[in-house]
Amino acid sequence: METTADGRHRIVVRRKMPAPREVVYQAWTDAEGLREWMCPGDIVSAEAKLDVRVGGSFHVIMRSKEEVHEHVGVYQVVDPPAKLSFTWSGGNAGSEITLVTVEFIAHGDESELVITHEGFAKSQRYEMGWGTIARKFAEYLASNRATD
Amino acid sequence: MVEYSQSAELDRVFSALADPTRRAILQALTRHPATINEIAKPFPFSLNAVSKHVMVLERAGLLRREVKGREHYCWIEPYPLREADAWLKKYQQFWEQRMDALETYVARKFKASQRRTKHGNDR
Repeated sequence: METTADGRHRIVVRRKMPAPREVVYQAWTDAEGLREWMCPGDIVSAEAKLDVRVGGSFHVIMRSKEEVHEHVGVYQVVDPPAKLSFTWSGGNAGSEITLVTVEFIAHGDESELVITHEGFAKSQRYEMGWGTIARKFAEYLASNRATD
Repeated sequence: MVEYSQSAELDRVFSALADPTRRAILQALTRHPATINEIAKPFPFSLNAVSKHVMVLERAGLLRREVKGREHYCWIEPYPLREADAWLKKYQQFWEQRMDALETYVARKFKASQRRTKHGNDR
């Protein structure tokens, strides 16, 4: 378990990728691609809507035989092909909002991916305006349901 | 709203664990329960300061306290620690699994794009 001095909890996943970082970045920002690799294992169908720009949102729905997993978030950093950062939350309005940062490091024809997924201490959530983000999520989900 | 209160609990647990003194207190309590005086002994702080740390741990549900006469006995409560660990394990596993799939996906895309470039150059 890793906790930092400011009370965040985080996990870091590093992985070498057998393709240049441009290709890997593309896989994260293209809905078609994301749908394919985001949903491995027992996931039988998936939908992805991405609006890749700072302040834009994404919406990924994964369905397995028993369950539906819904993830939503808002892009915070969009810096092709080096870095992406977005908030990450389960679909229901009450669920925890976390932050995912993905760094794409170039190694010629290969690359390295570093994913940092952080939760926040409650006080920081308010300092950083998480209240506003949570409201945006709620609005986004409401407007999405209206068009369904 | 169950999920919300769970996440507020997790916040308190991780905040409590962010401090090295509080982690040391918990570690000491894994060996055996102790009074506040016993807990304070190895630290260069006042009893009052250690008491405050104990209170933070108690609020996070990581520590249980029982008053017997004039002494406060403290126990470690392992359940919230297991919850925090479960959070980390869940996302670790989630991303590891996705990275396996992403690796396969980008390898295929990259090979396809190399083939296209090669054909393009041949023409």
